Amino acid sequence: MPQFDFARVFWPQFVWLAVFFAVLYFVVVRSTLPKLGKVMGERDDKIAGDIEAARAAKAAADEVDARYHAELEVARENARHVIADAKTAGTKASEARLATAHDAAEAAIAAAEQRIAASVADAGAELRKVAAESAQQIVSRLTGIEASAEAARARVDAAMGA
Amino acid sequence: MANPMEQFDVVTLHPLKAGTYDLSFTNSALWMLVALAIVSVFLFVGTSRPQLVPNRWQAAVEYVYDFVRKMLDENVGPEGRRFAPLVFSIFIFVLACNLLGLIPWVGAFTPTSHVTVTLGLALIVFITVCVVGFLRHGLHFFSLFWPHGASIPLGIFVFIIEVLSFLSRPFTLAIRLFANMTAGHVLLKVFGTFVIALGSFGALPYVFGVVPLAVNVALSALEVLIAVVQAYVFALLASLYLNDAINLH
Repeated sequence: MPQFDFARVFWPQFVWLAVFFAVLYFVVVRSTLPKLGKVMGERDDKIAGDIEAARAAKAAADEVDARYHAELEVARENARHVIADAKTAGTKASEARLATAHDAAEAAIAAAEQRIAASVADAGAELRKVAAESAQQIVSRLTGIEASAEAARARVDAAMGA
Repeated sequence: MANPMEQFDVVTLHPLKAGTYDLSFTNSALWMLVALAIVSVFLFVGTSRPQLVPNRWQAAVEYVYDFVRKMLDENVGPEGRRFAPLVFSIFIFVLACNLLGLIPWVGAFTPTSHVTVTLGLALIVFITVCVVGFLRHGLHFFSLFWPHGASIPLGIFVFIIEVLSFLSRPFTLAIRLFANMTAGHVLLKVFGTFVIALGSFGALPYVFGVVPLAVNVALSALEVLIAVVQAYVFALLASLYLNDAINLH
């Protein structure tokens, strides 16, 4: 194997390896990678910063959303209260109006009944008067006896039962 | 039949000598240079104008860099990021060498199929681990080898084993990569010679060469996988060893 012929292959390879690797490490890599590492670091920072900003924005948005929902809930609650109040007020008002109307109707009915009763009483009195006069005249015609008005009235009252 | 080991020959392209040392520019050095050039283009183009929203090149470089950083984060912790450039360099260099060596026809040479190269890379890891360990913990670094709550004789026994295992790390790291690369390339070459041998069967030319060719196609896909996986394993073990040095388990 030529690899183990060290007397011939060792120094030429070893020295050139040392030279080329030194150039690679000290010149090429040392002058390029740090630049790249810096940019990669900046990129990582930028990405981390962007993610942080996005996270903050999301937190703010979540907060706004939560506040919006809370406010919506409060508004809904208020609306519910307003509706309930309006409902009770409406019910009360209609009940009151119904009650006054009822009362008025009752009063009207009572007044009418009174008037009817009065008319009935008047009519009765008139009837009795007419009946008494009629009886008086019938008696005087038939018998020639003059019946007194009081007696005729008493007889009519007795006949009509009151 | 061509020798399947021939592909690992180090061929001198430009002879160079420093004193008694032979520092010739070889095909191995050439392909390491190609790897360096491609990685450099990849990195320089990818980071020429880094932007928050990356273009394709930048995204590609970032993908590899992020992969290494995540590996260090998982295996070492927050202190590991400092070593991301080193582990990245090792990972991408091994990956480039592994993958470039698989290119057919262009006479590609796989530097990572040579134990010299892999040992060199492993030594970079090993020396870094030792330096970091002693700088951070001083002599307390040796507690890495001492089992917690063991009796003294057992402790000494385990200590010796742990030290030996620690010292053998660069070799296991080097040999794992070198052996994987060598075995894969040998296998490809062997099946390649089968294609020629069976395909030139006189009465029915080409027909029997199809079978080893199909095997070679499948093997090539496997080798690409192995090239990536071994680069990953190398970098992963490097980060695990760094974790020992930094956190002393």
